[in-house]
Amino acid sequence: MASKVSLKVKGKAKAGKGPKSKEQSTCELVKEWTTWAMKKTKVITHYGFIPLVILIGMNSEPKPHLYQLLSPV
Amino acid sequence: MGSSVSLAAAPPPPVAPPPALPVGLAQVLPQKAEEKGDGKAAPEKVDWLDLPCPVPYEELQREALMSLKPELFEGLRFDFMKMLNQRFALSHSVYMGSMEVPSQSSDVIKVPSSHYEFGANFLDPKLMLIGRVLTDGRMNARVKCDLTDNLALKIHAQLTNEPHFSQGMFQFDYKGKDYRSQFQIGNNAFYGANYIQSVSPHLSLGGEIFWIGHQRKSGVGFAGRYNTDKMVATAQVASTGIVGLSYVQKVSEKVSLASDFMYNQMSRDVTSTFGYDYILRQCRLRGKIDTNGVVGALLEERLNMGVTLLLSAEIDHGKKDYKFGFGLTVGE
Repeated sequence: MASKVSLKVKGKAKAGKGPKSKEQSTCELVKEWTTWAMKKTKVITHYGFIPLVILIGMNSEPKPHLYQLLSPV
Repeated sequence: MGSSVSLAAAPPPPVAPPPALPVGLAQVLPQKAEEKGDGKAAPEKVDWLDLPCPVPYEELQREALMSLKPELFEGLRFDFMKMLNQRFALSHSVYMGSMEVPSQSSDVIKVPSSHYEFGANFLDPKLMLIGRVLTDGRMNARVKCDLTDNLALKIHAQLTNEPHFSQGMFQFDYKGKDYRSQFQIGNNAFYGANYIQSVSPHLSLGGEIFWIGHQRKSGVGFAGRYNTDKMVATAQVASTGIVGLSYVQKVSEKVSLASDFMYNQMSRDVTSTFGYDYILRQCRLRGKIDTNGVVGALLEERLNMGVTLLLSAEIDHGKKDYKFGFGLTVGE
C-alpha cells in the first residue's frame, strides 16, 4: 500500500512539473543566452574598443599618417 | 583643466513690480523712471514659457565639485596628449607612487605601485569615443552619441580581467525645452531615472529614483539648484539618508569661494568643506579645508606652450596621512 501511495505521489509530481519545466527551460534559455551574449560582449569590448577608436580616428578627415600614430612628435 | 568656471548662462534679472500708471504731475515728469533704468539693468518681465534649460541632474553641483574636489594625487604623474587630428588624439600617461589600499582599521595602508595608461580619444560634435587601457589589464571606455538633437546615449564601462568586477552603465538623456530627463541601466540590475525642470529663470528642481535588483534596494532623491550670475546654491536629499548642501560664490572673474555640507544619517557622519578656486592667467590654484582635519591644494601652472606643471598636496591631520605629488602634463 505504501508503495502504491508513493507511486501515485510521484505520478502527480511529474504531471505537475511537466508544463512548468517547459516554461522554466525557456526562461532559463533566455537567461543563458543573455549571459553568454554579455560575456562575449565584454571580451570583445575589452580587446576591441581601443582598436575601434583608432580605426575611426585614422579614417577621419584630415587623414593622419601611420607614422604619426607611433612617433612621439 | 584650466578652463574658467562657467556658471549657467546669465538669466534675465529678476523682475521688479511694474511701475504704476503715472498720474497727474508724474505724467509730465517721466525722468525718474528713465534714471532708474540707467542706474541698474532694466527689469524685464519673466517669460514663464521660455525658461532656460537646466543643468543635467548629475552636474547639479559641478561648480562646487570643481572647486572642492580637485584631483589630488600622490607621487609622480606624467601625461602626454598627442593630437593627430582635430578630432583624434592619443594619450600616454605614467604614474609612479603609493596607492592607498582600503583597510578596515583606521590605519592607512599604502602600496607602492606604478602603471602606464594608453588612451585614444575621438571627439566629434555628434560622437565621442574615449578609451583607456592600463598595464594591469583594466579598461575604461566611454561613448557619447547624439542620436537626435534632443536624445543622447552615453555608455560608460570599466572592464577588468578579474571576473565579476566589471561595471557598465547605459544612460539615455532627453533634453526638452526647459527640462531634462535621464534613464539609466547598469549592470547588477541597476535601473535609475532622473528628471530636472526649470521652475524660474534662476531655480530648477529635480528628482531621481533608482532600483538595485540584486540587493532589492530602491531609493528616491530630490534636488534643487538656485543660481544667479554670482552664486550657485544647491541642495540634495536622498532616501539613503544623505543630505548635501553646497554654495559657490563667484567673488570676481578670477576668484571663487565654495562651501559644502554633507550629512549621512546611516553612519552619522557630518562633513563640511570650505575651498577656494583662483583662476589666474598662468595658473589655477585650488585649496580646501575640511572638518575632518584634511587640508589639500592643487596647483596647475602653465609653464610654456602646452606644458603644465602640477603640484598636489593633501594633509590629513586626523589620520596622520601626508600626500604630496608632482607631475607634468604635455599637450592638452
